[in-house]
Amino acid sequence: MRRVLQTLALLTALLLGTALAAGFPVTVVDDLQREVTINAAPQRIIAMVPSHTETVCALSACHLLVGVDNWSNWPESVAELPHLGDAFAPDLEALVALQPDLVLVDEYSGLHEPLEALGVTVYAGTPQTFDETLEFFAQLGVMLDRRTEAALLTGRVQGEIEGVAAVVAGVTGPTVFLELDPTPYSAGPNSFMGTLLTMAGGVNVLDDTLGDFPQVDPEYVVAADPQVILLTDAPFGVTAADVAARPGWGGISAVQAGNVVELDAVTVDMLSRAGPRLGQAVLALARILHPALF
Amino acid sequence: MCHPVWAPGGTSARPEARNSVNRSGRWLVPFSLLATLAVIVLAVGNGSVYVPPADILATFGKAVRGEALVGSEVIVWQMRLPRVLTAALVGGALGLAGAIYQGVFRNPLADPYLLGTASGAGFGATLVAAVGASVPLLAKLGAPLTAFLFGLATVLLVAALARDGASLPTVRLILAGVVVGSIFTAATSFLMVVSREQAAGMLARLLGGFGFSGWPDVWTLLAFTLPALLLAGAFARALDLLQLGEEGAALLGLPVEAVKYLMLGVATLTTAAAVSVAGIIGFVGLIVPHAVRLALGPGHRRLLPLAVVWGAGFMVLADLLARNVAGPVEVPVGIVTAVVGGPFFLLLLKGRGQGGAA
Repeated sequence: MRRVLQTLALLTALLLGTALAAGFPVTVVDDLQREVTINAAPQRIIAMVPSHTETVCALSACHLLVGVDNWSNWPESVAELPHLGDAFAPDLEALVALQPDLVLVDEYSGLHEPLEALGVTVYAGTPQTFDETLEFFAQLGVMLDRRTEAALLTGRVQGEIEGVAAVVAGVTGPTVFLELDPTPYSAGPNSFMGTLLTMAGGVNVLDDTLGDFPQVDPEYVVAADPQVILLTDAPFGVTAADVAARPGWGGISAVQAGNVVELDAVTVDMLSRAGPRLGQAVLALARILHPALF
Repeated sequence: MCHPVWAPGGTSARPEARNSVNRSGRWLVPFSLLATLAVIVLAVGNGSVYVPPADILATFGKAVRGEALVGSEVIVWQMRLPRVLTAALVGGALGLAGAIYQGVFRNPLADPYLLGTASGAGFGATLVAAVGASVPLLAKLGAPLTAFLFGLATVLLVAALARDGASLPTVRLILAGVVVGSIFTAATSFLMVVSREQAAGMLARLLGGFGFSGWPDVWTLLAFTLPALLLAGAFARALDLLQLGEEGAALLGLPVEAVKYLMLGVATLTTAAAVSVAGIIGFVGLIVPHAVRLALGPGHRRLLPLAVVWGAGFMVLADLLARNVAGPVEVPVGIVTAVVGGPFFLLLLKGRGQGGAA
């Protein structure tokens, strides 16, 4: 029944998408509550956040990108594009010289002010949650005149998530400590990564009262005794051996059972970017947490 | 004829023993030791998991007998006790270093942080982490000794830059320290940027804290701090004489230059040990010797050991706050010491501006 409903919803969305594919101008409201009016379908787009780059490409608009930030690395084709610096410290002159007609920036980057002053159209906002990510797909679909693609993308991601949910349904655990850096900073259950962990059938050893990105007392982790430790800092040199060597950590179940997982850079990118690959991120996590089920 | 009044470890002439501040100091020493011990006991008992005192003692017994530890026993023996002891030793090391720097420079604002020594030492420790694998010499020296070499180079450079003829004006000393320190901090950041692979670990270490302190850290610190304290203690009288001014001290037979460089070496060695184990933690080396001096006057014979004891107590307390204020979420211990130390420093600065003391 759920499948049927989902398919129906998807079809409706497709039809609506086509029907609503009205012409320009369109106006959307960004995360800074600014009204962004786009007068014609953008032809020269700059994305200053990796997840924005990924979403633009997932909406079949990759060829419209003329520049990206330094951290954008997916899909591979963006390697050819000019890299314009960090999201928060871009090379503004190079950015403006590319004559973009739409620049997508993070809401905290402060870039909208200088760019607006130069007459560049700027959308400021990065999705922070799962729901916001789907909303952003739709919004970008409107801005780029890619409503159908946005509806398809939303359907695909939701399908991936529900697929994983169906497999792990009824399974409890394992308990997981999600390590962001070796101090150790971790991701709480309400953070973006924490939500993906829950979707993948993992139980976060942190509770939500600790905040989204707390630096936890290592004793707490030992006391919580997680069955799995996921090292998102592995691409930055932290190894399972390092974890086992930490004072008192040698006896943690995850260490004893060899379940300290060094995530690769691709998986970490997928997990940390609220973009089109989040369904794949959940699937990757589920494979690690429930090897018997996948 | 010219029999020197001064000799290392000499117990001759101790005029300060007769003034009243020092008489009250007699009970201050045992009281301080007891208070610090109490803070240590409190710190071992409290954390993200509360462990009753009886269980702590039982755990110590089991650990000493070599029995297997389980559950919260692991936390007490392998994590919390070494963490608390490391904090105590780092606090003691920084307190001692600050007391010596202030004595040698005859300057109450000298401390490992403001002199740039901590940043220089931090650069040395980071350098070992960044390129130690490919430079055998660095790997052989290890983080504490490399940190020491860079810390020593920093303090000598800062002193040379700040010197104005025969004097060493406070403003120039602090300015030179801050600037040289900033240069080393920038160089450290650069190291981290270029070695992105290990950046996370390097940054974690440098930011300071005792989250993952273990027994090896305790032994490293003991090996550096204990000899440093004994050596400095032997030269307590020399440091007192230095307060008369270098010429005055030389007239009394003190080999001024030799004592100064030896003491700078000792202070820098303890700073380096502290930084390579716990990162850069500010203000402890500044405020602790001051507090001691306020309580019992400037004599180094008592100042040096009490700076260690108070430094230890202060740091353990700061770490206790850091892990319990929002527990089990950790507040960086450097924030705690800065919140306490920053205002103290400003008060000192203001007091100096008005009174013109020292």
